[in-house]
Amino acid sequence: MDDSDLTPAERAEIERIDHVLADEAVWMEPPAHLQEAVVAAVAAESGALTRRRRLRLALVGVAATVLLAVGVTVGVQLTRDDPVQFAASLSGTELAPDATGDVTMTKTPSGWDIRLHATGLPRREDGEFYEAWLKDDSGLLVPIGTFNDGREVTLWAGVPPSAFSTMTITQEVADGDQTSSGQVVLVGEAEES
Amino acid sequence: MDDAELASRFASGDADSVRVLYQTYGRLVFSVAYRVLGDTGLAEDATQQTFVQAWRGASSYDPNRPLGAWITTIAKRVAIDFYRRERKHRHLVDVDTADDPALITLPPSLDQLEDVAEVRRALDELPSADRDLIRMQHFDELSHAEIARELEIPLGTVKSRTFRAHRRLAGLLAHLRADPGDSSPSVRPEGGSDG
Repeated sequence: MDDSDLTPAERAEIERIDHVLADEAVWMEPPAHLQEAVVAAVAAESGALTRRRRLRLALVGVAATVLLAVGVTVGVQLTRDDPVQFAASLSGTELAPDATGDVTMTKTPSGWDIRLHATGLPRREDGEFYEAWLKDDSGLLVPIGTFNDGREVTLWAGVPPSAFSTMTITQEVADGDQTSSGQVVLVGEAEES
Repeated sequence: MDDAELASRFASGDADSVRVLYQTYGRLVFSVAYRVLGDTGLAEDATQQTFVQAWRGASSYDPNRPLGAWITTIAKRVAIDFYRRERKHRHLVDVDTADDPALITLPPSLDQLEDVAEVRRALDELPSADRDLIRMQHFDELSHAEIARELEIPLGTVKSRTFRAHRRLAGLLAHLRADPGDSSPSVRPEGGSDG
């Protein structure tokens, strides 16, 4: 038997690949050391992946720690940023012995938002009104608003109750005199709450 | 160990399975790399890189596909990447010749590489005596008479052994081409385009 006994299909197959069989590449033998080089390369890649995974875990841990720290810091900051508030209980004077009032003073970027809830004060209108003041230790008065009815009043102050801690409410008349009438109906001291 | 089991063990990074895979397909991968790169050192590097990339992708290996076809596809892709990188490097180094079309060589097409891979796989399955005969006849271009003298065997024996070797080789190649899972998909445009 020789090649003449190959079937036409077999012969066609051998002829088809004749040029491939003449190619040096199909006969090249890799060097003996390549096997262990491949094993080492895969092992190195495997190790690198493990290290990357460990690094990723470590980074996640660090990130979690940082987030926790940021959370605590923000929490502390938020706590610190809680609005500064003062409160005062106002008592009626001889001019209004039945009057009382509660005041809350909240620090805002615009100034001090002061809410007054007073009872026992008759409504004043037709050119008569009440005026609220803050006074410091030296007796300096700062007007913080006027109103007719004391039950739900919002006032604004540009001075801090920490320095202007005495709050007074006076009876006023629209007579062109901007100074206090001195007719105090409610008075009290503001304290940080 | 079947392909799926080997791939599974390979994916786990088991060193023994890496050796088994290399012993089974290392010559094939090296041939493909050498066919593209024409340099033993680069072919070694590309072979290493092929197995590294195979390891990276082993978890996504489809066990319904022959492992040889899968790793051949990776080998071709890696070798062509090496070729492009090397060519770019050469052009950067040798600017004067980079623009000369006569000096630009193209990598073999994927069809050519597939032929190399198929033939290499078939040759690796032949008994070494058959392989030697085929090499002498087709690569060394020896006549039957020259082979007979070289091997110190009768001419008739050379003819009959060559016939058997060719029949086995043709049978292996027909089997490879008949295997539906062995049609390596194109990973790049055909025709040796250098992009």
